[in-house]
Amino acid sequence: MTREAIEAEIRRIFLQEFEIEDPAMDVDLREAYQFDSIDAIELLVEIERFLGSELTMEEKKRAMDIRTVRQICSYVEELVRARRPGESLPIGDLCKEGS
Amino acid sequence: MNSPQPMNLRRSVFRALLDLLVTLLLWVYFLAGTLILPFYGMAHLFSNDREATFQGMNSRFYRGFFRLVQWLIPGLSLRIGADVRTLRSTVIVSNHLSYLDPILFLSIFDRQKTIVRSDFFHYPIFGWVLKTAGYLPSSANGDLFSTLMIKRVEDMDRYLSTGGNLFIFPEGTRSRDGRLHPFSRGAFRIAARCRAPLGVVRITNTHRLFPPDRFLFHTGIREPVTIELLALLHPEWDAPDFSLNDLIARVQALYDERERQERERDFAEAGGPDGKPPAEGAGTP
Repeated sequence: MTREAIEAEIRRIFLQEFEIEDPAMDVDLREAYQFDSIDAIELLVEIERFLGSELTMEEKKRAMDIRTVRQICSYVEELVRARRPGESLPIGDLCKEGS
Repeated sequence: MNSPQPMNLRRSVFRALLDLLVTLLLWVYFLAGTLILPFYGMAHLFSNDREATFQGMNSRFYRGFFRLVQWLIPGLSLRIGADVRTLRSTVIVSNHLSYLDPILFLSIFDRQKTIVRSDFFHYPIFGWVLKTAGYLPSSANGDLFSTLMIKRVEDMDRYLSTGGNLFIFPEGTRSRDGRLHPFSRGAFRIAARCRAPLGVVRITNTHRLFPPDRFLFHTGIREPVTIELLALLHPEWDAPDFSLNDLIARVQALYDERERQERERDFAEAGGPDGKPPAEGAGTP
């Protein structure tokens, strides 16, 4: 699964579930869209659907500190890696993460 | 014959002393609450459903508090709609005027949950009661609160389906000017998640009974404290065009409409010219 695919899915979830269109990658979601912890728990349900597997409590707790779309993408990327250890992201996608 | 000024002064001093006395007696009731702690302890040890038992005990304690308030302030009229009392399995949203609002809800419903300021969970005994009763912390920062928040929200569907109510003040904080402030989405999000009915409730005048910036209860209150059900909504959560933002706007419109009606009524009662309703914004500070 590529970084682009994850990012596209996160954008789709934000539009469909949170009525937030095209959020900027690094904007603080809480400040910009009043995205609160209850929204974050709902986002986790969508991420579980996307991954096709349930998240552990530890994984969910980690998500509570996330503030930006970029952080969400990295978080999902880590979850994908943890579930499919053999799968690596294309180099370009990894570079993008740090940009 | 006494002149009017010393009479007014005497009346003010008497009123202030009465406010102080009533407030102190109500605080004594709160402090006496420690006497029922052994019952909480026993419930913790022996109850099959600690959460429900703690909620019921909290409700009875605050019911007693409001009985005492009414006894000490005989002029106070407390009007709670019958349709509010019978709400079950409902996410209730309400405007917020005073610290009295949450405990008023606690006194009405045997089974109730709400969102409580996170730092209260750290208080000895009080924090334990809050946690055991299943209340939600206001933030999910840190290990304790994130765990509590996730567990409580994930369990909400089961809790509501067993007849419990969740009440939330979507403004987040008390309104200092009586006007409605923008809503946060949390309550609506939980209702959507659980496909629960949404009770829209309006409280009036609790800020006159216990004003936000005052330590003392106002025993001279003339206005009735009311809790009214504006609407019980059953949104079509699964409709393709459902929008949470539209639902929030609809709820805000219900409050606005009720306030407009009240302004018109007050204006008519005050004998406005030709009995015509006031222009938009008239009669507000």
